[in-house]
Parts: sequence; C-alpha cells; structure tokens
Amino acid sequence: MISDQAKKEIDFWVTKYPEGRQSSAVMQALTIVQNENGGSLTGELMQEVADHLQMPTISVQEVATFYENYNHKPVGKNIIRFCHNISCMLNGSDELISYLEEKLEVKTGEVSKDGLVSVKKVECLGACVGGPMCQIGDQYHEHLTPSKLDNILDNLK
Amino acid sequence: MSEIEFEIDGKLVFANQGDSIISIADREGIDVPRFCYHKKLSVAANCRMCLVDVEGVPKAQPACSTPVANGMKIHTRNDKAKSAQKAVMEFLLINHPLDCPICDQGGECELQDVAMEYGTDVSKFNLGKRIVADKGIGALIQTDMTRCIHCTRCVRFGAEVAGIVEMGGTGRGEGVKIEPFLTEGIQSELSGNMIDVCPVGALTSKPFRYEARTWQMNAVETIARHDLVGSNIYTQTYRGRVKRVVARDNELVNETWISDRDRFSYEGLNHESRALHPKIKKNNKWQETSWEIALDFAISGLKKNAQNADQLGVLASKNSTLEEYYLMQKLARGFGSENIDYRLDKANLSIGNTMLSNITLAEMESTDHALIVNSYLRLEQPMINHRIRKATLNGASVNTINNKKFDFNYQTDLEILSSPQKTLLMLQSILKSLHERTKTTVPKYLSKITVDDSQNKIADDLIAAERPVIILGEHVNSNISSSDIASIISEIAALANAKIANLSLNGNSLSAEKVGFKPSNNGKNAISMFTENTKAFLLMDVDFNYDFIDPKLAADTFNNDDVFVISLNSFEDEITLMNSDVILPLAGFYESSGTHINFDGVAQSFSASVKGPGDSKPGWKIIKVLADILELKGFEYTDSTQVADDALSMSSANNNDLVENNIKETDDSKVAVHWQYSPYAIDGITRKAKALQETPIGKMNDAFISLATAKELKLSEGDLYHGVPVSINETVAEGCVFVHTYQSRKG
Ligand code: SF4
Ligand code: FES
Ligand code: FES
Repeated sequence: MISDQAKKEIDFWVTKYPEGRQSSAVMQALTIVQNENGGSLTGELMQEVADHLQMPTISVQEVATFYENYNHKPVGKNIIRFCHNISCMLNGSDELISYLEEKLEVKTGEVSKDGLVSVKKVECLGACVGGPMCQIGDQYHEHLTPSKLDNILDNLK
Repeated sequence: MSEIEFEIDGKLVFANQGDSIISIADREGIDVPRFCYHKKLSVAANCRMCLVDVEGVPKAQPACSTPVANGMKIHTRNDKAKSAQKAVMEFLLINHPLDCPICDQGGECELQDVAMEYGTDVSKFNLGKRIVADKGIGALIQTDMTRCIHCTRCVRFGAEVAGIVEMGGTGRGEGVKIEPFLTEGIQSELSGNMIDVCPVGALTSKPFRYEARTWQMNAVETIARHDLVGSNIYTQTYRGRVKRVVARDNELVNETWISDRDRFSYEGLNHESRALHPKIKKNNKWQETSWEIALDFAISGLKKNAQNADQLGVLASKNSTLEEYYLMQKLARGFGSENIDYRLDKANLSIGNTMLSNITLAEMESTDHALIVNSYLRLEQPMINHRIRKATLNGASVNTINNKKFDFNYQTDLEILSSPQKTLLMLQSILKSLHERTKTTVPKYLSKITVDDSQNKIADDLIAAERPVIILGEHVNSNISSSDIASIISEIAALANAKIANLSLNGNSLSAEKVGFKPSNNGKNAISMFTENTKAFLLMDVDFNYDFIDPKLAADTFNNDDVFVISLNSFEDEITLMNSDVILPLAGFYESSGTHINFDGVAQSFSASVKGPGDSKPGWKIIKVLADILELKGFEYTDSTQVADDALSMSSANNNDLVENNIKETDDSKVAVHWQYSPYAIDGITRKAKALQETPIGKMNDAFISLATAKELKLSEGDLYHGVPVSINETVAEGCVFVHTYQSRKG
C-alpha cells in the first residue's frame, strides 16, 4: 500500500506537468514508492501507481522495467551498482565483480545474508575515465581494486 | 493538400503532402518489405525492414516514416536498398527461433515470406538465442513470445484500436519482452485482431493451435451474423469443418477488424450437443428416424393440434437468415396463421413497428456527439462502438443514460444512472428541456414533467452538436415502456436534429423486420402466444432456456402435454429434448447459404462454407419441404438465391409510428430487473464456443445492486440472485437489479 504521505509527494510532482499529463510523473512516483518500500517495487505497488496516475498498468511496468534504478526484487540496505560496460570491463570489472560475489557470498542480483548489501550490474554510468567503477548510494567509487573494495565494504553500515 | 510529384523505381507518381513512401508504394503495387507498419496503426518505424534508397540522402530511409517530397527519387530494389534490407533481415533473424515447421503461422508468416526473399541461408551469429518464457494471456490467444520480433503492432493495436492498453514492451535492449501486466487474460472484446496484426507466430489463435496447416485449408468469403454489422470474414475450412475465422477487409462494414465473438464463435459448431439426425418423440420416448418420417410426423402433429390455423405459433431467434425468415413467415401465413414473431426477448410487444435507424456505420464515425441510451455498446455492438470510439478520438463527446455505469473504451462526459422504471420519465424531461430551449410548444402530456440540470445538459449537448446521434441499445427490450421510450427518442431526435441508431435490434433482426417476421393485424405475438391457447409451435433456432423474456411463461406452455412442438434446431440439449416433439436438425452458421441485412440496410449474401454435420439440413430447405407437405403454393424454389430475391423485393410494412395510445404511468414501486447476457451468451453457437466462455467477458456473472436496493430485497454481497452472485455496487441505479451473466434468464 502506498502511504498517504507518499501520495502527497507524488501529487506534488503531478503539479509540475500540464493538466491531464499526470502520467508524466510516473518516474518520480515509482522512486517515491520504491523508497517507501525499502528499495524495491512489487506488482501491487505498480498497480497502485497506475491507478493513482490514471494510466494503464502495463505502461507503469514498461517504465519500471526499462530503467535500472527500479528494483523488482528485495534489495540490501546498500546497493552496489557495478558498471560492466566496455571501459570498465577492459579495466577488470568482471574480476572485481567476481571478487565481490565471493567475498559477500552473494550473486549479482541477490542480497547478502546480513541484508546489508546487494550487488547489481549496471550499464555505463558515465564515469569511464575512472573505470572500473561502482556507485553506492549517491557516491561514485572509481579506479577500484580489491583492496579499495575491502575498504569500502568495511565502511558500509 | 498539394500534389507532389516524385519517382519511385523509375516510375513517375503523384501523392499528397504527408503521404509516406510505403503507402504510395503499396498503392502502386511496389512491394516494400515491412513488419511494424500497418495501414490502420500509427507509424512506429522500429523494425527498419522497409529501408529504401532516397537519392541524395546518404543513408537508406525507412519507407514507412519518410514522407514523400517533390522531385524525390526513390529506389526500393537497388543495391543500396537491398543491402540495407538484407542487413536488417539478418539482425531480425538472430534471435528468432526459426521453428517454422511447428509454428501455426507457417505458410502465412510475414517473417517467413520476407526471409525467403531477403534472408541468407547461413547466419553469422553463433551465440545463444534469446528465449522468452510464455506466461499465457488467456483462452483466445496462444503466445510463443520467443518468436516475437518486437514490431509493437499488438501494443499499438491495444492502445489505438481496442482502446485498452494491455500489451506492452517491458525491459530494455535485448531483454525487451512484449507482455501484458497481469496474466489473468486479455480483457478486450477485439483482442483476436492482435493475432491478425502479428506478423509472426508469436500471437496465434489458441483454439486453432495445431489444427491444420494454413495451406491445407480453403478460405470461403462469408458474413458473421452475431450483430448488426455483419462483419466480413473468411471461414477457413479443412475436411468439411470450419477450422478458423479471420477478418476480411471491407472499409464500409468492419474495416480490417472483427470482434472476438465473430472470430471464435465457430467453435460452437463442433459442440457435442449438435443435433445430427431427425428425432421424434413417441410415447415420451425419443427415437432417431429418417427425414421422411420426421417430417410426416411433424406435419401430422401440427395438423392435429392446430385444426384452427390460429392455434399455430411460429417463433424464431434473431440469428436466422433472411431466406429462413422469409420462407417461415410465408409458410405460417400460407397455413393461415398470423402468429409469427422473432422478438422473444421483448417485454412489450403491443406496438408492431420498430424505430428505424437513419445513420450509416461510416457516418457514425464522423458524428460529433453521441447520446447512448440503455446500452453497454462496447460489448454489445463492438464494431459500432469502434466507430464511436474513432469519433471520440476526433473530438466527439459522449453522454450516457444507463441502468449502470459501464466501462467504455473512450471518455464519456455525463453518465446518468436511470433505472428502467425511470428511463421514460428521464427522456421526457430531456424532451421538455429541448422544447424549452428550441422555443417550441411543450406538448400537454409533458406539462407536469420536471427538468433538472443534468437533463438540461443532455439537451444542450444535443443542440450544440452539428452531427449528433442518439443510440438506443438492447437494455430497452426488457422495459415495459420500450415503445414509448422509442417514440420519445424519435421526438428528441427530431427536435435536436439528431440521427437515430436503433441498436436494440441484434443479430439478423433486420432481415426478420424486412420480411415482416412478426404478427400483423390480429396475430399473436411472442407473449400472447403463450397466454392465448396456442396448440402447435414451429420453432426455428429457439433456445428454450435463454431466448424468452418470460421463461416461466414459455416453459409452462411448452411443458403442456397437449402442445405439439416442432424444433428446427442445431442443438439438442436437455431442454430442447424436454420441450419438443420433433427435432429437425438445422445447419448452423456457415453451414447454409443465406443473407444478412446489416445496420446500413445492405443485404450481404453468403454461400455455405461447409456442409452441416450428420443429416442436418439448411433451414430454407427444411421449411420448403414442410410447406410442400402442407401443399402450400409458392415454394417452388431450387436455390436459396431465388428465395433471397423474393424476400428482398418485399416492401416493408414497418413505419415509424411508435406512439402507444396512452402513455402509461410508470410503476416505480417495484424493483426492476434487467437480465443482460454476456456478449458470449447471446446466441446458441456462441454459447457453445468453449474458448470464448473461458475469457473474462465470457465468465461475467454478477447481479449488480445498489446498497439501498439490496437492503430492500434483503440481499447482501455474494448471495445468489436467481443463481447469480450479488455484487453490491454503487454504479448501478437505485431500484433495479442489473444482471450481467452467461446464465440463462430466470425469474
Ligand atoms: S507479439 Fe507479434 S505483434 Fe506483438 S510485438 Fe511481437 S511480433 Fe509484433
Ligand atoms: S563503461 Fe563503466 S562507467 Fe562507462
Ligand atoms: S515498416 Fe518501416 S520501420 Fe518497420
């Protein structure tokens, strides 16, 4: 269920668009709803967003599955978005992702046992110059090495 | 629009500003390969198969989204165009499973055809192919989404034509999947058209799955007669059976689309309860027999019971052919009986005349305002509703006056709830408002009528519109004031300069109307036949369970031992066996030649696609032989087209005089019931079509009641109202029960 508070926030975004174009607020709506739900979306939530914005449910799902920033399975408290596109890959992102998986005992797309982290492979984050890189929260971490990763993980709460 | 002159493959052609290259190529008979382009859908330009070379432009251009321009030189088959087309083809085939031998689309697949011409026999791609798991989208459409090429025709069909966005493209890049949100099944009443638009075998007909290969079948041009449109279709037959129905283009009638009812009802033809052999009931035991014996038995029973010709009653459903109606009424009248009727579901038959429509299907599309009265148009007349939907897309507004709010696939403006008892009054108020607004004298009988704001708005909208239409739907049939309602609507239309679409008729009613298949003079109608001593019945395609407005009244008569009943019927279910004395097996839809008269008054004739199963015979032949045995004159036909010629040359006795002598006070002390069949329960064949019954529309089964009315009737949510679960609902008018179900009418 979307809370009234969340609906209010969504309605704020709706006001940014011309009358009758409330569906344009779908991305913000999904973000708000996802945050409220601990970082991921469900079918019911997408349905509710659709109802609230008076748009077809499938259209909400199209948006929610197109963008990487929406999750459709429960996620950890911190999401490590690891770039695996060309520049990062050439600089060893694949090895680093394997390292992460081993260390955390998770596969990409899964949540660590303590619920603290989940790992996600993402497309180019526009920081090719610093590859291999990952994003955690709003923070980019560049020129990664295994020891740098250890350090980062130790500091995650 | 200015004329543009340009060259395509060296040929000088003309076009209008804004025309796309592909539409002109099509017109000129130049074949440009395509997948996503469809003449009735918006241009997506996402498959890139239609690339052509435009001189002076460095890259090949998509013909579907490139408008023509003066002096353009286009090449569709030079090296540059061909290599672009081949490259796209190679990409499209990378992920395609190439499982044509086990694909139902094989033989009629656009991908297969184009690959033959533009594909290569070896693929450079040697990695794993994309696989998509099918989640199932209902009983009508089989999905094999691994075959999907993401042309989005089905998605655009939903958004643009069906008006219900159900399919969508989820995911991104290589992960894109075309799928609906929920898996409980596609809801649209037009969903089957997605099968036709899908260029590959991703969406195919589920009931047809693995039934035959396309090249083994014969395609027969014919007409669907479930509704007033008479959609043009092909029946595709194999070994004497109809295996599939697909749409046939006719811009004036159904454009390119058909309803799911027209597409999938054929399944009912193969139902296990088909009547295969003539049967007679002797000493309460049924025995199969020959046609000769059965016909003699029928006629002698008829003669014995109807010694006075007035004791014979002749009834038919709404779905017979023009020829059958014509011969049947001729037989009855030749025998001396005026007791003829097809209006089995009407509560008031005191007025013989039927309100005439004065608008065509094509004109419906260009109307700028529609007032819908007593109709869930979308489900009842899907293709007419589609015209109205198109009108709304061009800015037309729609108001409704209904017993319940319905789910239209377009925006409705004012939706007025009005119970059956109050509908006449409601319309009188609107008429009065119109009189006031047009400064015409208010007739005396309206003097006490009051008018409220919403009624004024309805009147205003009608006056303001340039090409308004008033649509009267079939819910009016159960209304005791139906002819008064029709007559008020005629007056409203006259004052507001509006056209009338009388959609309270259905199926092939207009053929029955044409030949006067209802009593004239002092004949008995479909109600009085049961109250006034009718001893013998001749029934054509009548379902005892479903067809009568007052099933109990009918059953009481038919159950009577001294009433003799001859049933010409395609089915022999329990109730037919119980109520009949003779069953003459009748060829069903597509098994007999015939004629359907559609909403535009166009008589569309068709030949039989297949022969009826067993010993069943076309109705017109059975009636002719019955007439011969009765030694009636004027039945010397050898061909159904001769019958049609005679029938069509009849001049209709109908006129628009609908006024009952005295406008009745409506009784609103009692709760009114309207029993509306789901669109897949309206006629015998459709009811027996299995897949249709498994769709959300087919499973409709609710008795909608408002809270207050439910209290009055001491009903609560989930209780059964004559076997139908009660649904307490505030979108239904007070004082009425709106039953929407596949179950037969009771009470
Ligand atoms: S299912 Fe068919 S119509 Fe729909 S996108 Fe795929 S190929 Fe096109
Ligand atoms: S490729 Fe990794 S950030 Fe661009
Ligand atoms: S038909 Fe032109 S891009 Fe698909």
